[in-house]
Amino acid sequence: MTTHFGRTELPPAQASALRRAIRFERYTLIFLAVAITLVFLVMGSSQAMKAAWIEDLLSLAPPIAFLIAVRIVNKRPTEKYPYGFHRSVGVAHLVAGVALFAMGAFLIIDSLSGLITAEHPPIGSIVLFGNPIWLGWLMMIVMALTIPLPIYFGRVKMKLAKELHDKVLYADADMNKADWMTAVGSIVGVAGIGIGLWWADAAAALFIAVSIVWDGVKNLRAAITDLMDTRATTFDDGEPHPVSQKVDDYLRDLPWAAEVGSRVRDQGHVFHVESFIVPRPGESPTVQQLLEARDGCIELDWKVEDIVLVPIDELPEEVGGARDTRQSERNE
Amino acid sequence: MKVEGVEIVVALFLWSGMRRFRSLLAVTCVALLTGCSMAIPTDPDGTLDRVTGGTLRVGVSERPPWVETAEGEEPGGTEPELIREFAESIDAETEWTEGGEERLLKALERGELDVVIGGFTDQTPWVDYGALTVPYAEEEYEGAREKHVMIVRMGENAFLVALERFLLAEGATA
Repeated sequence: MTTHFGRTELPPAQASALRRAIRFERYTLIFLAVAITLVFLVMGSSQAMKAAWIEDLLSLAPPIAFLIAVRIVNKRPTEKYPYGFHRSVGVAHLVAGVALFAMGAFLIIDSLSGLITAEHPPIGSIVLFGNPIWLGWLMMIVMALTIPLPIYFGRVKMKLAKELHDKVLYADADMNKADWMTAVGSIVGVAGIGIGLWWADAAAALFIAVSIVWDGVKNLRAAITDLMDTRATTFDDGEPHPVSQKVDDYLRDLPWAAEVGSRVRDQGHVFHVESFIVPRPGESPTVQQLLEARDGCIELDWKVEDIVLVPIDELPEEVGGARDTRQSERNE
Repeated sequence: MKVEGVEIVVALFLWSGMRRFRSLLAVTCVALLTGCSMAIPTDPDGTLDRVTGGTLRVGVSERPPWVETAEGEEPGGTEPELIREFAESIDAETEWTEGGEERLLKALERGELDVVIGGFTDQTPWVDYGALTVPYAEEEYEGAREKHVMIVRMGENAFLVALERFLLAEGATA
């Protein structure tokens, strides 16, 4: 079976990365289902454990969003959706970003209010096989059990996110990080309560929540700006994506091209490219030359497939032309 | 035993430096270390230490047959009986305060009482004012199974666990 993103056929490396990502997101869902059940069982009346449980529920959102987006993104462009369905990835990224942010914000509010009102979390006994034991031990064990897998999942997803240029996977890798960090925080917190520090749990949670909120803000901002058609960036939104530069360089090397500038927007996994080309004086590209130039660009990277070449008299300002000339208006 | 300052400092130090997987090891070490040198859990306000050999302050709210009160007499019923036995087991005197649930629970929240009894079940709406013990007895009431609990001061976990152990051992036979 050939794997597609819409009408973009994936190179073998990306196709196998995509299958691996789908598999890992399914594993994540199975793991979360088990973790949610376990935490629910040892939750008792502990607010801290309740918070951990709500976080586990929230961390369901990115994998589900990813699996849905991957199904939708597979569709080819139609008359109604002429750009294809790649943007479903952008929507999923937004969902994942909101989930991450909500989790961090919830944790901050929850632990801050606990500290301010000086809530002393009660952790009593639980009867296990007929013996009463302190529930704190059980909480710490369950929390410790939920640490290793998210670390592993997060690392794999981070790699796949880069390979596939998939920001949902990236956000989900952050979510896995948030998961295991809160688990570590809960262990420290419950241990602190154990030695009589009532504020330990809230303080540990607050410490971690700040980093989760930051990841949430980062992903939210990236998702929103991508939906606003900001210029294409790398999967971690660290820098402008090198493909834009590669396309410009390739076109500039054509014998008939004088000046080149491109608008590149991230559609999800793939890019939509509009390249403006000012021909050399006296040259006028033929249809054949344009077709060859387009194919040349598509060869550059699998993410370039939907590309429009626009021969023009001067470059619009937004792609590096002189001031006060824009593509969006007629330049007299 | 008292919390040793050094242990807290070590715990915080490890905690602040923990970013990597090996931090898990550190947490386990702290848990084990503290487990060896002190009783876990410990009360933030030292309730168990204070009542052991001292005075156990009990709030009682009438609810026969669990709690029965009468003018000029010590409270009777199954729960005051259990509390008397518990107090005896830790060599404590009991000081009874009778009243309505609201007044007692608010006094408990302020730390003026150590435990409140009144035939409470695990479905009690007073969960924000005190910590419920594990259910120590069950009863059929109007077609539903009710699980009975006592309410102690929030976060006094050593005292909570001590009372729970007593109730689980003795409560079933009461």
